[in-house]
Amino acid sequence: MNNASAQPLLSVTGLTTWFEVRGGGLFSAKKHVRAVDGVDFTIAQGKTLGLVGESGSGKTTVGRSILGLIPATGGRAVFDGIDLFSLTPGQWRGLRRRMQIIFQDPMSSLNPRMTIAGIVGEPLMAHSSLSRQQRKNRVGELLERVGLSRHYMNRYPHEFSGGQRQRIGIARALASRPDFIVCDEPVSALDVSIQAQILNLLDDLQKEFGIAYLFIAHNLAVVEHFADEVAVMYLGRIVEKADRDSLYARPIHPYTRALLSAIPVPDPGSKTVRLRLPGETPSPVNPPSGCAFHPRCPFTREAAQKLGNSDTSLIQSGGEKVRIVTRCMKETPKLKPLRDNPSHLHACLLV
Amino acid sequence: MKTKTTAAGRSLWGNAAARLRRDPVAIACLAVIAVYIVIAVISPIMLSHWDASHNYELRNAPPSAQFLLGTDGLGRSVLQKTLLGAHVSMTVGFMANIIAIPLGLLLGAFAGYFGRRIDDIIVWFYTTVASIPGIILLIALKFAFADRKIFSGSICEIDLSGMAGVYLALGLISWISTCRLVRAETMKIKELDFVLAARASGRSDFAILMRHVLPNVFHIAIINFSLGFVGAISAEVMLSFLNLGVQNLPSWGKMINEARMDLVVGRWWELASAVTAMFIIVLAWNIFGDRLRDALDPKLK
Repeated sequence: MNNASAQPLLSVTGLTTWFEVRGGGLFSAKKHVRAVDGVDFTIAQGKTLGLVGESGSGKTTVGRSILGLIPATGGRAVFDGIDLFSLTPGQWRGLRRRMQIIFQDPMSSLNPRMTIAGIVGEPLMAHSSLSRQQRKNRVGELLERVGLSRHYMNRYPHEFSGGQRQRIGIARALASRPDFIVCDEPVSALDVSIQAQILNLLDDLQKEFGIAYLFIAHNLAVVEHFADEVAVMYLGRIVEKADRDSLYARPIHPYTRALLSAIPVPDPGSKTVRLRLPGETPSPVNPPSGCAFHPRCPFTREAAQKLGNSDTSLIQSGGEKVRIVTRCMKETPKLKPLRDNPSHLHACLLV
Repeated sequence: MKTKTTAAGRSLWGNAAARLRRDPVAIACLAVIAVYIVIAVISPIMLSHWDASHNYELRNAPPSAQFLLGTDGLGRSVLQKTLLGAHVSMTVGFMANIIAIPLGLLLGAFAGYFGRRIDDIIVWFYTTVASIPGIILLIALKFAFADRKIFSGSICEIDLSGMAGVYLALGLISWISTCRLVRAETMKIKELDFVLAARASGRSDFAILMRHVLPNVFHIAIINFSLGFVGAISAEVMLSFLNLGVQNLPSWGKMINEARMDLVVGRWWELASAVTAMFIIVLAWNIFGDRLRDALDPKLK
């Protein structure tokens, strides 16, 4: 951790996680859901990477694969110099103190039969040899740090509101003093007013303890005030990744643009053009060839009108026939840097 | 934030107990069960002279002030026989459950939590056992246990040819419904985020089973304990009726067996006593089991 500035805390390369699904018939071949299909990113100590995408884009699977909660199919994840996917179960357990997770659903993330003291103290039982009294004191400190009273210790989860439960989940994640926390849509299930409180709390904790976050969200607006870097996922791949300022100021990929235009603007007079995407997210069992976004992409349709028939093809999309650029369905795009900003990566063939 | 200083909260168990206390039907059933338990405990002590109470001059007497429920073919009080029958029935119900519930709970939790091979083996095992008709398996086990002893030679030697064999045989056939329910519930619970959180905190499978899975499936065991009594009591009556059950004590099954020829000549009291005694306790356990399920099931909240 000494050379944190030189080396990222976590670096992920080529992460793939496929799930096997049984085919429809008795003799049909095994199929795979390509939930995560080649994802690269790094997170520096004390920094936040926002990972954004629709449901089904594989963002949750990325977080859980890194923590070893879902076995990754391929790729590498190096955490502070340790190759995570080559660890034995025993070594994993030792490392878990340093990596934690906060969940989306504050209802199912707390055991309904356990007291708050038991829930928050659980990581301490696994990793430290504190006495009962010491553990109680530490739980009290943690509860107060996340804005709850230490008198709540002997209560049960069903006696709290959604926002309070999320604070309890945060206290549990903090208990073992981790260096890295996967925040899996921690505010998506909360009221908007509570969302801001929880985001501010997470921000304060990051500043105080220097924790790195992988912040997963389905909404670019939530990430905007929070992340240092933002990666946008579509069907298991990262389609655009950049510094926060660069991404919000100049989104390149058509999917990022569509997500950004979906953020409501609190001004009734504003005339932003909503970029609507036709069709629905395709199934990751059978993703579209080439650029997986091509059946819904507004750019390729626009570009096809300027090109001759030799470079374009007709495809069926959402019940209508559309003409698109042939290259978009033939060639698999790779992340490439913008010419004037090498840290801004995107995966659009047409830009 | 609220600044209440009341320290302790109420657990889900506490909530369930409170709901049960507010339910008059459940309380009534519990009272009936308590009365039967008291009878089961004190009747062998009070009626230890029962064996010697043959009196041929008084045989087949109808209910009267002296014999409230009449007498049987050997002149013994039917009331005393009925009370002693409660001892046998309650003991059988309790002992069979003591064997069946932990077996079903553990196997179900193992199958559901570990899945794959372990699940395959356990499911295969209980499907095989369940495919044999219960009463036939029970009789077969009872015969297989004849003249057998477990822990023989040690101080806790148990002779399986007596009632211990009945308890064991009943226990070995009645764990399946508990196992099935616990397995299904465990499969549901192990996917919940709090189990994932425990794994992310580095807890072992054993700790997760003990702290997160078993407390959340334990209500199934309690409900099945209550409902399991019904099956055990009926099975004991069936075994005793076939002369495979209890030997030296009266039981409701033996009473029904002995009285089966009496009804045609108008001697209804022995059969009626045994059947009524059994009916009331079976009904009480059944209704109590249902009420218990309502109180413990968090989905109704």
